[in-house]
Amino acid sequence: MNAIEVTNLTKEYPHLTAVNNVSFNVAVGEVFGILGENGAGKTTTLEMIEGLRRPTSGEVTVLGHNVRTELGAIKQKIGVQLQSSAYYKYLTVTEILRLFGGFYEKSLPAAQLLKMVGLESKAKSLIGQLSGGQQQRFSIAASLVNDPEIVFLDEPTTGLDPNARRRLWKLITDIKAKGKTIILTTHYLEEAELLADRVAIMDKGKIIVLDQTHKLVEQTKVPFVITAHLPKLAESTQKKLQKLGTLTTRGGKDDWFELGLKTQAKLNTALIEIAALKPDSITVKRATLEDLFIELTGKKLTS
Amino acid sequence: MRRLFLANLLMLLRNRQALFWTLFFPLMFMLIFGLFFGREIASVGTMAVIKQSDTALATSFTDTLSKVESVKTTTEYSTIDAAKEAMRQNEVLAVVVIPAGFGDVTQPNAPTTVTLITDPGNAASNAIFVSIVNSILTQFNYQTTHTQPIFTIDAQSATTHTVTYFDFVMVGILGMAMMNSSIMGLAVAMTTYREDQILKRMTTTPVPSWKFIVAEVLSRLILNFVQISIILAIGIWVFHGHIYGSIWILYIIALLGAIMFQLIGFLIAGLCNTTRAAEGMAQAIAIPMMFLGGVFFPTDSLPKWIAGIVHFLPLEPLLRTLRQVGIDGLSPFTQPQNLAIIGGWIVILLIISSRTFKLHEG
Repeated sequence: MNAIEVTNLTKEYPHLTAVNNVSFNVAVGEVFGILGENGAGKTTTLEMIEGLRRPTSGEVTVLGHNVRTELGAIKQKIGVQLQSSAYYKYLTVTEILRLFGGFYEKSLPAAQLLKMVGLESKAKSLIGQLSGGQQQRFSIAASLVNDPEIVFLDEPTTGLDPNARRRLWKLITDIKAKGKTIILTTHYLEEAELLADRVAIMDKGKIIVLDQTHKLVEQTKVPFVITAHLPKLAESTQKKLQKLGTLTTRGGKDDWFELGLKTQAKLNTALIEIAALKPDSITVKRATLEDLFIELTGKKLTS
Repeated sequence: MRRLFLANLLMLLRNRQALFWTLFFPLMFMLIFGLFFGREIASVGTMAVIKQSDTALATSFTDTLSKVESVKTTTEYSTIDAAKEAMRQNEVLAVVVIPAGFGDVTQPNAPTTVTLITDPGNAASNAIFVSIVNSILTQFNYQTTHTQPIFTIDAQSATTHTVTYFDFVMVGILGMAMMNSSIMGLAVAMTTYREDQILKRMTTTPVPSWKFIVAEVLSRLILNFVQISIILAIGIWVFHGHIYGSIWILYIIALLGAIMFQLIGFLIAGLCNTTRAAEGMAQAIAIPMMFLGGVFFPTDSLPKWIAGIVHFLPLEPLLRTLRQVGIDGLSPFTQPQNLAIIGGWIVILLIISSRTFKLHEG
């Protein structure tokens, strides 16, 4: 059974189609990333799955429950982390976790949740006394208060410094290791590549591409580029390499070669060939989701 | 819902600044009006009595004077000069001198006149002192000559008890406190919650919206209960205000008013997207009602067309009902049209605010 099934989901506003005929499934235990720039429709899609927004058309089932008719059952089984730290500022973090835990049929102890996110020393702090990174970790802890089967993380690392972002990535990986299904929206490509098993890239309300991260990368025009420093290549070697991909010299220098390759298989073959020539230096550059995003949308993904 | 209610209560207590202003704002008015009018009828001021005669009539005069509620008397000054000095120091407002031999029936030339010395700067209280002394002496004259006055006045009050201006204002401040804390408190809290995404976060949980709203309303009613208690306690014990009717019915009516004003708060929160806009709209609604709705003066003194409008606004019928219960000691159903207007407002506001106020836009 899929954890989430989305079929032809559309959300229209008077002057805008925020989400346009989107369909996808998320498997149990999978980390599913939704990538796109601001206004692409990521959050609206997420909120329709969570039952916060009513779809104009289309169907959503979460853990076998229809979001239109069985929202109560769905809410018991999902955990939602919003873009900002949406919590009462006059309650301590422990009090907030206890309060929210009381809303569900089952809940985890506040101390266990705080330990999970490394905030046990902040148990008596108010939310405003936490740093930005700590607030984000707390909001993830709060989304886990009912020990949910699916966790929705909406841009969890936005606005955080690199160190805080890495700590949060580790936390998300830990949550995945517990067997939870995670839906993650982000506009950080690096984050999506690192954390997600599959990624859907959204633009103007539509999913323009959806696949496993490594397969998405292979959809770029030149997914792999080998750069090697070698003495002048023999003509036979050149012909062999040209059969695998596009061979060029780097910066007009005869002893620096670049070989652009389209598939992993061709990359493997080319590496064996070049390694046999004992190059002074060899590097492999893999295309990124950013490259794919630029190719697909003609624009850079800005954070 | 119990958890939400307790959490809300805890947050209201921890938000010290808001709590202080919620309680202090009405108290500020209480202090101002209490200091100026709180002892208005109980005492016009203190009168020094220089008693130089020990006759029965002189003693009877001072005894009668000391029983007059609206004036305090003191005999601590033995000489006229000392009393005059006390008057200059504003310790007493008038001096009455009962001369030696006053009321001595054995002396044919015994003095028959008491002297009243007043400060020309206190014209209003002087008239009262003259009137009091004069009425006592007139009574003595009738007793001495064994005659009865022919023309008398039968002064009747609509109520059977003393009602001061402070009593009127105290109940007005009670209604005003319900209005200000409920409209402003709810409107600001809900828009802040929306801006902070707390309302949205709530909708991700299985808690139904109505439970969230009821918990919010109930916790604020506790705050209103405390407000009412403090206003009445200070009004009655410190400034000698009077509540003649059932104090519990007064509480119920005031809390009913608080619910009506909380609904206005929800309506504002439904119409305004930001806290600033909500603050502005709340003030635009509450301030005109505060000055025109009969908090500080009866609405009868307003121009007729304004009074006609104010009569149907939420605050005025609430204050009329509160005064009916608190001051007149009557049942709130004596003039049921007031309760009907309050009930009408509650129904209308409930319908409109339930359509405009949403925890999260769908």
